[in-house]
Amino acid sequence: MSAPARKSRRYLFNLFAWTVVLVIAFPLLWMLLTSIKPQSELFLIPPALLPGEITFEHYRRLLTETPFLTYLKNSAWLAGGTTLVVIVIATLGAHSLVRFSYPGRERLATLVLFTYLLPSVVLVIPLYLLMAGLGLANTLTSLIIAYTTFALPYALWLLRSFMKAIPEDLESAALVDGASRMQAFVDVILPQAMPGIISTAMFTAILAWNEYLYALVLVNSDAARPLTTGVINMLVTSFNIEWSLLMAASVMMSVPLIVVFAFLQRYLTRGFSAGAIKG
Amino acid sequence: MAGIRFDQVSKRFGGVTAVNALSMEIQAGEFVSILGPSGCGKTTLLRMLAGLERPSAGAISIGGAVVNELAPAERNVAMVFQTYALYPHMTVAGNIEYPLKKRRVPKTERAGRVREAARVLELEALLGRKPRELSGGQQQRVALGRALVRDPAAFLLDEPLSNLDAKLRTHMRAELIRLHRRIGRTMVYVTHDQLEAMTMSQRIAVLNEGALQQFASPQDIYARPRNDFVAGFIGTPSMNFLDGRLEGTGADRVFRSGDWSLPIGALRLADEHPDPDRRVRLGVRPEHVRLDAQGEPARVILVEPTGHETILVFDYSGNEIVARMDGEVSLEPDDSVRLSFRVAKLHLFAADDGRRLNLDDS
Amino acid sequence: MFREGPATTASPGKASLDTRYGLLGALLIAPTVLVFCAVIVYPLISAIYLGLFSIYTPTMEGEWVGMDNYRRLLASGEFWRSLLNNVIWTVGTLALQVIFGILVALMLHRNLVFRAFARSLVLFPYFLSTVVAVLVWRWLFNDLYGVLNHLLMWAGIVDMPVDWLGTMPNAMVSLILVGAWKYFPFVVIAVLARLQSIPDELYEAASIDGAGAWGRFVDVTLPQLRDVLIVVVLLRTIWDFKEFDLIYLLTGGGPIIGTQTLPLMVYKEAFALNQMGGASAVAVLMMLIMLLFMILYLSRARD
Repeated sequence: MSAPARKSRRYLFNLFAWTVVLVIAFPLLWMLLTSIKPQSELFLIPPALLPGEITFEHYRRLLTETPFLTYLKNSAWLAGGTTLVVIVIATLGAHSLVRFSYPGRERLATLVLFTYLLPSVVLVIPLYLLMAGLGLANTLTSLIIAYTTFALPYALWLLRSFMKAIPEDLESAALVDGASRMQAFVDVILPQAMPGIISTAMFTAILAWNEYLYALVLVNSDAARPLTTGVINMLVTSFNIEWSLLMAASVMMSVPLIVVFAFLQRYLTRGFSAGAIKG
Repeated sequence: MAGIRFDQVSKRFGGVTAVNALSMEIQAGEFVSILGPSGCGKTTLLRMLAGLERPSAGAISIGGAVVNELAPAERNVAMVFQTYALYPHMTVAGNIEYPLKKRRVPKTERAGRVREAARVLELEALLGRKPRELSGGQQQRVALGRALVRDPAAFLLDEPLSNLDAKLRTHMRAELIRLHRRIGRTMVYVTHDQLEAMTMSQRIAVLNEGALQQFASPQDIYARPRNDFVAGFIGTPSMNFLDGRLEGTGADRVFRSGDWSLPIGALRLADEHPDPDRRVRLGVRPEHVRLDAQGEPARVILVEPTGHETILVFDYSGNEIVARMDGEVSLEPDDSVRLSFRVAKLHLFAADDGRRLNLDDS
Repeated sequence: MFREGPATTASPGKASLDTRYGLLGALLIAPTVLVFCAVIVYPLISAIYLGLFSIYTPTMEGEWVGMDNYRRLLASGEFWRSLLNNVIWTVGTLALQVIFGILVALMLHRNLVFRAFARSLVLFPYFLSTVVAVLVWRWLFNDLYGVLNHLLMWAGIVDMPVDWLGTMPNAMVSLILVGAWKYFPFVVIAVLARLQSIPDELYEAASIDGAGAWGRFVDVTLPQLRDVLIVVVLLRTIWDFKEFDLIYLLTGGGPIIGTQTLPLMVYKEAFALNQMGGASAVAVLMMLIMLLFMILYLSRARD
């Protein structure tokens, strides 16, 4: 093939590939554009691709005239709380599964993987009854407890494979150097596992941030509603659907994800085999 | 400083026996190598000594006290790992200081001891670096430094030189010998490399399939191997073995293999009156094969000159015999020659259990 | 210098080191086990148990009915219809995810300007909240002002706005499309990770042996992707089968029960029809069906 022909083939491939990418990304682009268009431009026929005029009015209304900020605060607490609880328990548990031997350890590891696959919809009814029985209905606590059902197996499984990759000799060296098992864990294993722990924490936070079913069933008041059910509530309770407001809410909900996603990108392919990508 | 004793020590992993009823005693201050092929249980033995594995049976003593149930931290031994196992998140100084910290050495004293260890190992310029910024040889020295800084009862070294290139390995071998001479501590050195074991140790423990084959000085192990495994394992090229029978006694004794026979009356045996027709293995070191006009006919198969000497492979009455000869020997493949063995230097082993039959003076 | 005497293996009165280590290990895993028992094992057993009762949700009063819930379900058309919907949805969306995922991964594996940015754009939908994805698509699908209908009419493909979510089979098709859009990046990530680990020598060897671009794909790439695709298909089958959020939010199972899958039926029985017992029975049946795939995956993942 001649050089110009190869060059034009490359050009065509780039053109084709980027068209595909943009088609895939179009819904997100459209969400962004809708959120900054004046309400009047929404109902143009045919719709205009680019806004004639950019406005942040919808964002202002979202933050001042709707309970969006309450939902946002609840979601932040939920993601943070779930992640904290789960990471502490799972880090200790994963260390135990990887570096200690006791009867039942292998069966426990299989159980963890099994629960990693368990559908939430099976657990939601008993958990609903349990929370009502404990008097925790309509609280963020009930949601944090419920979220551990998927977040803990997930974090455990992920951390287990991250911690398996830490050479056994490091702990052995620390023990010979005079450390107890717990000191070796704190001095040597934990610093080595930190990148894995941080990325696991972020993946866990994404799961909690995006959760919908438990929030739908267990919480029925605006005071404890997270963004997922809260924004949908804005959709179903309003008299006429305000798409620009909803799109602004969608953008706001996605911004923290974009930040976390940008950070996690280099872990994606590596984390895949460890089970980091769930959903 | 302390001696080490293994008393009928066994280790089983599930159904696999890694170490089998092993007993041996290492003197205080001695440099001992544990030598054997991979999978022979030598690393397991060292890890049991360090407290990283528990023996399934038997007792391990350090300085006269049984340590079986002591945690590694309570044993006061230092270990250098094959992978070096440097703490990646700590600097060189941090790595060397870590064992002192864990032993609650006062901070003021720690700095001095780290500096002293660094000086001995020429690491002073690297103290602020992280392990990943070091070359293999430098990492190796840091691992040594972490062991040295502590003044332990014994040093355990698990193939510490196997990840270095050949030149650095020779250099570090000399360094380790010097180090042992200066500090005079007990050192237990695990290796699969017989050259390391032979050059460095005062005594060598040869292990195979979890069992101690022989525990003796390098000279003894080479000249008087206790069985055919040790004989075949030590020495490059390996000892030649010829299977056959013993006939006659005393000065009339003959080794017979097929229709070929060799008078070995000059060889003294521990048991002068064995069963007639006893099946034995005759061991011949390559350097004890010589060209001899009065010898048996043989044909050259292969010539490998290495410069100062030449390794030759012969077809000798249907057996392949390897010989080590002068570098100036000029033979070509397919040449016909005559060979003989230095009978006084031959080794005889029982064919059934491989034990040595020669009578040794010592 | 050595004490002579019988060798002891344990100092009296103190547990052996291995026992103490084992206890420490058990202590570290104890919080996990406790939480597991409280929020997973107990509810799981409880769900199986509840399936044997008839429970009215608002009062939570129940009576033992044994296998009646199951008998009623297996005789009802709704259960079988939901199962069929579930299978159609899973097979349809999974097929699109896999085909599209492989193609896009191959595309993104090649040299492309701003490749990292292109990858981000493609992968991001996977990390997006399902709520956001559904809101966006409902706005795109909007029959009056939705950009999709305008685009299709402008291109002359349809001449009337299409009712994407309100009629059958449109609702199921829309569902499968949105599911594919949201979840195909999982396949992309898996395939990309695998493609990056195929050594170039394999392609060079194939080229030397005279293989063209298609031959290299069939003889080198596809066999290398086989294992990862098996895992991907198993995982996605499990996850797509149990999908609730996307379907509930996009169609709510409608029109009528046209797109109602088993997870939606569980929710409807429990919280719209107030039949907790019946709902639990649906959940248990659903899990039994999924168990096959879970066991297949478990046996592969343990290798």
